[in-house]
Amino acid sequence: MPTPAATYDYDAALRACARGEQQALQALYQQESRYLLGVALRIVRQRALAEDVLHDAFLSIWRRAGSFDATRGSGKGWIYVVVRHQALNVARARAHEISADEDTVENLLHERQDDEPADAYALQANMGKLHDCLGHLDESKRNCILYAYVDGCSHSEIAKRVASPLGTVKAWVKRGLASLRECMG
Amino acid sequence: MNTPLNDEELQALAGEYVLGTLPLAERAQVEQRLPNDAALRAAVDAWEQRLLPLTALAPPQDPSPQLWPRIASTLFTPKAIKQAGGWQAWWNSLAFWRILAGGGLATAAALAVTVTMQLQAPGGPGYLVVLVAPQDKAPGWIVQASNKNSRDLSLIPLGPTSVPQQKSLQFWTKGKDWGAPVSLGLVQPGQTLKLKLDKLPPMQAEQLFEITLEPETGSPTGRPTGPILYIGRAVKVM
Repeated sequence: MPTPAATYDYDAALRACARGEQQALQALYQQESRYLLGVALRIVRQRALAEDVLHDAFLSIWRRAGSFDATRGSGKGWIYVVVRHQALNVARARAHEISADEDTVENLLHERQDDEPADAYALQANMGKLHDCLGHLDESKRNCILYAYVDGCSHSEIAKRVASPLGTVKAWVKRGLASLRECMG
Repeated sequence: MNTPLNDEELQALAGEYVLGTLPLAERAQVEQRLPNDAALRAAVDAWEQRLLPLTALAPPQDPSPQLWPRIASTLFTPKAIKQAGGWQAWWNSLAFWRILAGGGLATAAALAVTVTMQLQAPGGPGYLVVLVAPQDKAPGWIVQASNKNSRDLSLIPLGPTSVPQQKSLQFWTKGKDWGAPVSLGLVQPGQTLKLKLDKLPPMQAEQLFEITLEPETGSPTGRPTGPILYIGRAVKVM
């Protein structure tokens, strides 16, 4: 049974992994795998591939736990960073391979659009300052950021989703990020 | 990339790296620079922290029960035991599946060769074919020709194939210079089929194999008439 996230000590779990304690990795898996798989699945969009991402990410977590540095961020954050970048690398590598096949991309995007509300996501108030700062962005910039971060969309995939030129989308992403940084500090 | 960036450029690069919008090559460059570039690392760390709450927007997904055992076996099983697995060992190989799912047939075949080469017992060359669905390249079946005699052939399912009522699966092959495919008979979904190809020329590299959907008793014309469900070409393995 997973521990409530508030009381689970992610930093201690990573230190135990660094010491070679296998049960610590298993406990971390029990604690967090369903959330991590959710993150990976949104980005790579295929369940088998998302499980592969999680498999490889847990290998990295185990092998790199010793390099976790609590002064650079939380242990929980570090784990999500490993999983997200693993998923993004797979997504970007796949995009290379299927780029010749525009139909595939088209189909994927349409599939996704069908179950997507117009304004990308219901923002959650528990996101703290990020919630407020995203709220200050205009909708197009906010959606660019969300499509990229949560769904792993490339610039051109976002351009298709929001039916806007690629150059415009690139500018929205850039300005959206700059505004977020200004707002959040 | 190697010229020093001003702060604004550094922030933009770090931001897009964390956001995920950098193309693969630029992602790789950032990851290469990170260990030695403290300013970039600090900018990336700050972006990770800013955007991290967005991970909560992805709905949780329960992993399949096999995932943890797979991770544990990769990490904690001694190598000698794992490599004794033969077939099973390589089709449990992640890289193999990843490339099949994401890439073209050629890559899959090349990788299959590499993996199989590492694991096969000595005994001369054999052949291997990965049959994938033409639309999404999802792997469905594997054809293995034995090492000693490439006329002994096994068609092995990787999963269930659903067949509509009053239809059946038919297995075909066609060598490079053959005029038309030759039927290798009907296939039961989800079941291994073992064949002897004594009436055909020995197997060749690039030889085509496919499974088509045909009437219940097989193609009435002796040639494929229905849609191709799975297709692949033979590669030589040592």
